[in-house]
Amino acid sequence: MKEKEGLADCPEQQLILYVEKEDGKYGPVQTGSYLSANYLDDYFYKRKNLEISLRKRVVEGEISLVYYYMVLVDLSISELASRVGISKSRVKKQFEPRGFAKCSVEELRKYAKVFNVPVANMLQIVLINVEKNYESLYIHEDKTLNISVEQDSTVNPYLSVTKIGERSK
Amino acid sequence: MIIEKFKHKMAAHCESGTITSLINHAGLRISEPLVFGISSGLFFGYFHKMKSFPFPTFIVRNKPGQMRVNITKRLGVKFNEYSFHNIDDGTRKLDELLQKNIPTAAQVDFFYLDYVPSWERVHINVHFMVILGKEDSNYIISDSYFPELIKLKSTSLENSRFAGGNMSPKGFIFNVSYIPTTIDYEDAIIKGIKKVCFNMLHIPMPFLGVKGIRMFAKKIVEWPDLARDTEHLSHEIMKINILLEDQGTGGAGFRFIYATFLQEAADILGKPELKYLSVELMKIGDGWRELSLFAAKAGKNRDLGPGKLKELSGLIYDRADAEEKFFTKLGNAVKRS
Repeated sequence: MKEKEGLADCPEQQLILYVEKEDGKYGPVQTGSYLSANYLDDYFYKRKNLEISLRKRVVEGEISLVYYYMVLVDLSISELASRVGISKSRVKKQFEPRGFAKCSVEELRKYAKVFNVPVANMLQIVLINVEKNYESLYIHEDKTLNISVEQDSTVNPYLSVTKIGERSK
Repeated sequence: MIIEKFKHKMAAHCESGTITSLINHAGLRISEPLVFGISSGLFFGYFHKMKSFPFPTFIVRNKPGQMRVNITKRLGVKFNEYSFHNIDDGTRKLDELLQKNIPTAAQVDFFYLDYVPSWERVHINVHFMVILGKEDSNYIISDSYFPELIKLKSTSLENSRFAGGNMSPKGFIFNVSYIPTTIDYEDAIIKGIKKVCFNMLHIPMPFLGVKGIRMFAKKIVEWPDLARDTEHLSHEIMKINILLEDQGTGGAGFRFIYATFLQEAADILGKPELKYLSVELMKIGDGWRELSLFAAKAGKNRDLGPGKLKELSGLIYDRADAEEKFFTKLGNAVKRS
């Protein structure tokens, strides 16, 4: 690949490509990700739709938040079970509200660690108002214009502190 | 406290980049392509059903950690390596090494690295980085995927070093302990090339090497049956581009960096035929890149009917045919030496 063919404008995601330079030598060039430069909006569009469809199923009592997060972070059942340190069959049972009701608090803490969310978010979905629609904080990562939502972990592994305030302008 | 003398540099790949940086810091000048080639980094494997992955996927490099092992075997560079059962022991040892001004590489889960953009963050336990210091509750990180040094919260580093699951890092850290005074580069390069040719052509498993590329071509038309819906299928098809171009490959699933290695190797060995082969591999890489852009476009347009997937399958078959011929020639080129 010639150097100019590999260049893409994406300051948020830089990478190294090996290309053919003008003198015919091959070597590295720093550039942006072509995919992120051109298709990132589609990634977020699909991710938002996936979250909405999963949230609907959680709200209707069809699935638990264990399943919700597992799909959102793209883990297999085996991988999730291995990371939490429980059997695959136990994880499967906890995909439904009836099985989820038998989760210990310690299991919830382990799930929360794998999904990188506060333990409290294993029992709730935090929505924020984005352009007149309530959307998941997990997807939007505190991207509201006026309101700031921060969930901080504490030394107590079973407690997080949620701070909601006006965003400084 | 930070190790000032360490020179941070971006690299195509995290493992070859980390090893290259550590070796350079220890005083041996060597390029990333040479490290990648000598350690036989190039590979292909297709996994249609594997418990660790929620959907079929493929790899384009050798087993994580193997580059370091191969560099030790072929260049004689030695590493101190530490694994831990206990988080406190792992943190204590890392801090102790940093206190002694020893740049130390770590194997981590990419998912917990706060500085990585959200769309890139996935659970993968085989990311490598160099840790250069500690300031208050932050570690100073040289991550070869980022242009500048980065601060990472100690809790995030701890989570990423001690994540569970497949290929769990177990707090694994390493640093250079010995650089040999003389190195037989010719022997190292030849052995590195021979191993790649063997891996691509002769491993008796239908999902590895060129056979794996063919299996990928055959199975991709079955992906719609495995996807939740069209958007899921689109996501998985577009991931082909991520795996080939964006996840630290140097472009075209490591084919471009390997072509660069062959160009350097041709000069070192005085073998012009390796230079011709490097040009051929660059062209094969262009084909992989064409394929990955085709996948990205088809995914974006939701143009994922049987005809389109068959077309994509055909492009993959073409790569298999080209690489079978290429690695046969490459194997012959080093056999005669």
